[in-house]
Amino acid sequence: MKSLISASFLCGATIVSAAAAPAPAGAAFFESKVRPLLVEHCFKCHSHDAEKIKGGLVLDSRAGVLQGGDTGPAIVPGQPGQSLLIKAVSGADKDLQMPPKTKLASAEVETLRQWVKMGAPWSGTGSQTSTPKRAAGKITDEDRQWWAFQPVKPVAVPAIRNPQSAIRNDIDRFILAKLADAGLQPSPEADRVTLARRVYFDLVGLPPKPTEIDEFVNDRSADAYEKLVDRLLASPRHGEKWARHWLDLVRFAESDGYKADDFRPHAWRFRDYVVKAFNDDKPYHRFVQEQLAADELFADNPDALAGTAYFRAGIYEYNNRDVRGQWQRILEDITDTTADAFLGMGLQCARCHDHKFDPILQKDYYRFQAFFAPLLPRDDLTLATPAERAGHAVKLKQWNEATADIHTEITKLLASVKRNTEKSAIEKFIEDIRVMMNKPPGERTPYEHQIAELAYRQVIYDIERLDTKLKGEAKDRVLALRKKLTEFDALKPAPLPTLIAATDVGPVAPAVFIPKKESLGAIPAGFPTVLDEKPATVKPFATSTGRRAALAQWLTQPSNPLTARVMVNRLWQWHFGRGLAANASDFGKLGEKPSHPELLDWLAERFVAEGWSLKKLHRLIVTSATYRQRSQTGAGEGGRKGEREIAAPAPSHPLTLSTAHLKDPENRLLWRFPSRRLEAEQIRDAILSVTGELKLEPVGGPSTDALTPRRTIYSKILRNARDPILDVFDLAESFNSVAQRNTTTTPTQALLLFNSQMMLRHARAFASRLDQEFPSSDDEMIGAAYRLAFGREPRAAEKAAALKFVGEQMKRIGAAEAAASAKPFAAEKMPYRDGVAAVVTPEIGSETLLVPDSPTLPKADFTIEAAILVRTVDKGGTVRTIAAKWAGDNKKPGWGFAVTGDGSRRKPRTLVMQFIGTKLDGSFGEDAIFSDQTLELGRPYFVAASVRLATNKEPGEVTFYVKDLANDDEPISIVNVPHSITGGFANTLSLQIGGRAARSGGFDGMIDDVRLSTGALKQDELLLSHDAATDKTAGFWQFESRPNAFKDSSASGNDIRPPAAAAKAAANARTAALADFCHALLNANEFVYVD
Amino acid sequence: MSLFTSIDRMTKSGCNQVEWAASRRDFLAKAGAGFGSLALTSLLARDAAAAEASRGDLVNPLASKPPHFAPRARSVVFLFMEGGPSHLDTFDPKPALKRHAGKPLPPSFTKGLITAMGEYDSPVFPDKREWKQYGQSGLWVSDWCRHAGENADEMCILRSCWANGIVHSNGVCQMNTGSILAGRPSLGAWVSYGLGTVNQNLPAFVVMQDNNGTVVNGPRNWGAGFMPAVYQGTRILPGSEPIANLNTPEGVSDERQLGKLDFLNSLNRGHASARASQTELDARIAAYELAFRMQAEAPDAVDLSKETDATRRLYGMEDKDSATFGRMCLLARRLVERGVRFVQLYSGAGSKWDAHSDIEKNHGERFRETDRAVAGLLKDLKSRGLLDTTLVVWGGEFGRTPMSEKGNGRDHNPTGFTMWMAGGGVKGGQVIGATDEFGLHAVEDRLHVHDLHATILWLMGLKNLGLTYNYKGRPENPTINEGEPCVKVAGHAA
Repeated sequence: MKSLISASFLCGATIVSAAAAPAPAGAAFFESKVRPLLVEHCFKCHSHDAEKIKGGLVLDSRAGVLQGGDTGPAIVPGQPGQSLLIKAVSGADKDLQMPPKTKLASAEVETLRQWVKMGAPWSGTGSQTSTPKRAAGKITDEDRQWWAFQPVKPVAVPAIRNPQSAIRNDIDRFILAKLADAGLQPSPEADRVTLARRVYFDLVGLPPKPTEIDEFVNDRSADAYEKLVDRLLASPRHGEKWARHWLDLVRFAESDGYKADDFRPHAWRFRDYVVKAFNDDKPYHRFVQEQLAADELFADNPDALAGTAYFRAGIYEYNNRDVRGQWQRILEDITDTTADAFLGMGLQCARCHDHKFDPILQKDYYRFQAFFAPLLPRDDLTLATPAERAGHAVKLKQWNEATADIHTEITKLLASVKRNTEKSAIEKFIEDIRVMMNKPPGERTPYEHQIAELAYRQVIYDIERLDTKLKGEAKDRVLALRKKLTEFDALKPAPLPTLIAATDVGPVAPAVFIPKKESLGAIPAGFPTVLDEKPATVKPFATSTGRRAALAQWLTQPSNPLTARVMVNRLWQWHFGRGLAANASDFGKLGEKPSHPELLDWLAERFVAEGWSLKKLHRLIVTSATYRQRSQTGAGEGGRKGEREIAAPAPSHPLTLSTAHLKDPENRLLWRFPSRRLEAEQIRDAILSVTGELKLEPVGGPSTDALTPRRTIYSKILRNARDPILDVFDLAESFNSVAQRNTTTTPTQALLLFNSQMMLRHARAFASRLDQEFPSSDDEMIGAAYRLAFGREPRAAEKAAALKFVGEQMKRIGAAEAAASAKPFAAEKMPYRDGVAAVVTPEIGSETLLVPDSPTLPKADFTIEAAILVRTVDKGGTVRTIAAKWAGDNKKPGWGFAVTGDGSRRKPRTLVMQFIGTKLDGSFGEDAIFSDQTLELGRPYFVAASVRLATNKEPGEVTFYVKDLANDDEPISIVNVPHSITGGFANTLSLQIGGRAARSGGFDGMIDDVRLSTGALKQDELLLSHDAATDKTAGFWQFESRPNAFKDSSASGNDIRPPAAAAKAAANARTAALADFCHALLNANEFVYVD
Repeated sequence: MSLFTSIDRMTKSGCNQVEWAASRRDFLAKAGAGFGSLALTSLLARDAAAAEASRGDLVNPLASKPPHFAPRARSVVFLFMEGGPSHLDTFDPKPALKRHAGKPLPPSFTKGLITAMGEYDSPVFPDKREWKQYGQSGLWVSDWCRHAGENADEMCILRSCWANGIVHSNGVCQMNTGSILAGRPSLGAWVSYGLGTVNQNLPAFVVMQDNNGTVVNGPRNWGAGFMPAVYQGTRILPGSEPIANLNTPEGVSDERQLGKLDFLNSLNRGHASARASQTELDARIAAYELAFRMQAEAPDAVDLSKETDATRRLYGMEDKDSATFGRMCLLARRLVERGVRFVQLYSGAGSKWDAHSDIEKNHGERFRETDRAVAGLLKDLKSRGLLDTTLVVWGGEFGRTPMSEKGNGRDHNPTGFTMWMAGGGVKGGQVIGATDEFGLHAVEDRLHVHDLHATILWLMGLKNLGLTYNYKGRPENPTINEGEPCVKVAGHAA
């Protein structure tokens, strides 16, 4: 349950930590409670926007409030009793009563009273001057004076005389100067173990291995820490951690995010592009230019072109008939995201009106959007050099020639169904869209071409599914021809890597208008007026408008006041939990002014001067004494060979720590290092790392499911089916640019970490690792567990407590329990479904999930159903079995329901029902009945085969049902296939789920809700309609923990028999107790928080 | 299992709780002097009021909060007919459909209209319903919802709703979050944020659905969007584990589970004792304690064994077709009784109200599944005195077109459709708004989704524009700076 408790990591008294770092309580209170009140009740008469200002009083600035109106100051800060405003709204004085016609609610009056009592804080530190009125559509000189719009100026490093604490680089001088102003001192340097854990998680996102800690702790050279930092920055793990921060900013995910949350199989290339950019220390200005305009600036460089997938990362609705509307929303998404991520300005407000607080005009929104208006999404580009493309073309030509006859015949067979499909797909659009689509591309305007292409994606979607519309002989022939095509595979060149990219539609840009203000004419591309009011200077290219190149170049000019500041501030935020300017994607007036403006400018200037190198900036930050401070102010932690020092205040410390808490409770001045909770990815990565499951190879490439123990950056991120552990730990929603994640603490997290089968599996892996690596004694194992999980040795008392716990837990664990905790398969959530499914691998598929033969298992007509997710199919012709009552021997009776392999005699990745039984002609042998419905890997499906046996009167029939569970729009696919089996397949073998009684044929993926029924069920009797056992059900296996994973939910009592071998191997209370100990460590605060 | 008592034991025997809490208060008091007394004041106030409360309450964002003004409704039950139920066959009778049957609509109606499946020029499809007036108020209700109709005098029918999304994903997204685009908090999340919950051992916002299908867009419909996840809805699942991972894992005895929990607690307390200023560590300890208090309370809340047969029949639970939604409605009543703030029930999860073809069969089945259950909920709430404080809302993401699709179905219609409200301060027996003569466009007293949301919030004592959350420097509100409550629902003059 997502509820009940949430806490900020910055300060316990902040009630909820939000995406943006918390503003000081006063400003936040004003912004969230007071300003809305004033706007709603007072501004109609008492603001600069009022038609007529009443009583000479304006309440839209603090100065105005203090100055008051005709009857005097509206408030006396801190003194509600003496404040006219409070008198007026509380109704105590009839003559003063405000608002004149209505009364404020008592809670509202209380809010104002509290605000005055607090000293009437206004939004933003120090912004207590009157905001001058801005005429509609105009920018004032004062607007231009806002700090973020000022050029970055050279800053002198503050001189620190007689430093009382370490200064490791100039960052520390800026920090110390501010601390000194406040009468504060920094904390001493953290011990090396703490430092190692901090910097490993920070720079590479993984916990240090015990050997790595030792190496650092034992390195007595003066620059041991700097060398460690250099090692980490050079590690390929660095980009794997830091890419995710950028991916949050550019709302990256790998699915469409609408009703059909279609997976994007090529999206990973952008993720790899970002990982590589961080690993290669690609200069940031180049990184910006590539994402925004690689097609214009680096057209010959396919690696750079991969950056333009930035434009494609947003959501897309595959069946939206409102094509113009969808295109406009795509442009708005790109406009908003680009402004947030690259410019650090929130433009969204200006979509409909001039920004209320910042100098952003509505016109600015559309000037900015005009940079992107010529975009055309492209799926036809490849990640290949011209030479590679040429080579590919030659081979493709050879293959095409060799297979020309086959292709011609397929085309012919598909022609009419293709024509009809295309026609009906186009007819779903309204007239004017159809007109655009039917025009030859050369005759379309640029805008028409964009719209027609976007609409055409929906037609292509249908055309890609043509095969499913074929029937009878034509279908068999097409399948046979496709099979024949594979004989030419040797000739066929491997496809060039698909690039998801974007270019311009052409050299002419479609016009951009402000909605409902079309009379103002087309809006030229331009930057925010406050920075440059002239339209942008754009030099067109032969096939492109050059607009985005102009934007990218403007952004990356060293003189741009925002780009470097924004990025430097982001980096600071990702290291310290909060930016120097707290609102990292909005440097406007609703953000706070920076806590250290000089430092921000000094860093920004240096960043540009050093070639926009992010790694140099990282190094500078993490090697500062500021970064190396202790986070803790209380008593110290247990020692590691005496290494961990007691973190009590040094005697020379002039102030007690509670004074520092008092003066700067939010640690804005950085008098200590802010400790924090790991982010979602780091928690999963740390679990996998500590338990020894993590596989660092392959680096990059297609994304994998949550079960694959790779780093989380390589997990599929599906917008509508979030991985449970990432979800509960505040994974960003990939719908909008996210500059900073929420950090919540909820019971849901506790339930998941403490009760889920997934975590029990990890705990067992951890225990088994300890058992293998440190078999000599419990004592050693416990020490090793502490070192792995927390990076430190246990103290003596901790070790004793752990030993005691393991001992006691052993006594508590009965034999049956130990067996249960060694369940041979993992139970995990299947995407887009509830509850858990059995995870089956080919290795266990052949022996584990056995239902002993029983008289209730059907011997004639039957129906087998299941929810499945296929991770892989066999590379050859072997099937992967969903369920079977068969040993895989073609001479012995039985049946099997399975998924075909790549080398199938009929069609890969399709369902097959295999029988060895008696045929109509009396012979005994095999009949394989194929469904021909293609299953995509990694996608959840409901599948069923309803079997009606052949009789003398009529041939038998298998009805296959396939329903895509990731896309409700996709109708259930039903295929009837005749066959000649009359029976004779009964045997005394066990029914097996996920395998068959043979070495081969094990399933790879997830299986859930397997139901075997007597009789050929009709469509409305299937699990999709009635997900319960009925009187026809011979067995229904749901793998839920209650009553237990092996239980048959039907009345037949056909429970799965836990395999004796596995139970015996694990019937070991000590192993189970050790796993419990490991499980507790993985739940511990020390595991998920970093000092 | 009951871990409840054990937790109690654990916290008392843990470390020196009382002393610790006192020092924590001291710390906050000192710190408070420096950074504004807002948080501190509320913390101390709550602290004093709940001296015995666990430390987790110190930082509980779901603590009950006062509304902006006196609320009419304390809880909401939102009956979401997912896929878009037809208004023309239920609550908005249009005799013109029969007169124009088989002919296309006049072009003036369909100019510029975009429909999901391109049915703008298809012929008008007449309804096949029997209509009757119900109650003292004589509201017109079709035979499909005759049981609901018996409650006509409690119902306020809103015939002039309109929305922006023409397909399910943006329609459902908007009806839940105000925006057709993903990313914003759901209405239930806003209510949780604005009002908190009176029962700390149950979620503030609960969601149930009637089948295993995926509600269009998935769980983000009840998500918290840009707000912290603590405000999002919690799915209550059918079966033995109502909340994901609520149960002690299979094959693990209570004793063993408790032993592990005890050990974890000792690890965490040792760790926290050296980190006095890091209150989030204590919050996390409290979250574990709370999780296990939930283990005690949630199963009881969803345990229907103590309900009488008469009650079950009231909800139509003896009937195979209506058993599932009947059970959900009964659960909704039990949750509301226990202080849950916002309950959302999905009927036809996975767009099963989407009657593009054969609306007779489709809607016939859906109403067989829901009509008695919905009527039972209203009656049961009323007889228990809960209807006064519980707002029941019925509707889908849009309605359906007067034009036919595939000869016997209807396409999506977001430009005019019906929802109804009952209880929670709503004046029953009235109709608000009207669609045009064919029921295509809302024409009188038009109520956009934002207005509907504003109305629900208003009934709960919240101002739709006054409930703000600062995100990226912008004060965001539930209805995106638009929307006005329709005060007529409470019988007020507009």
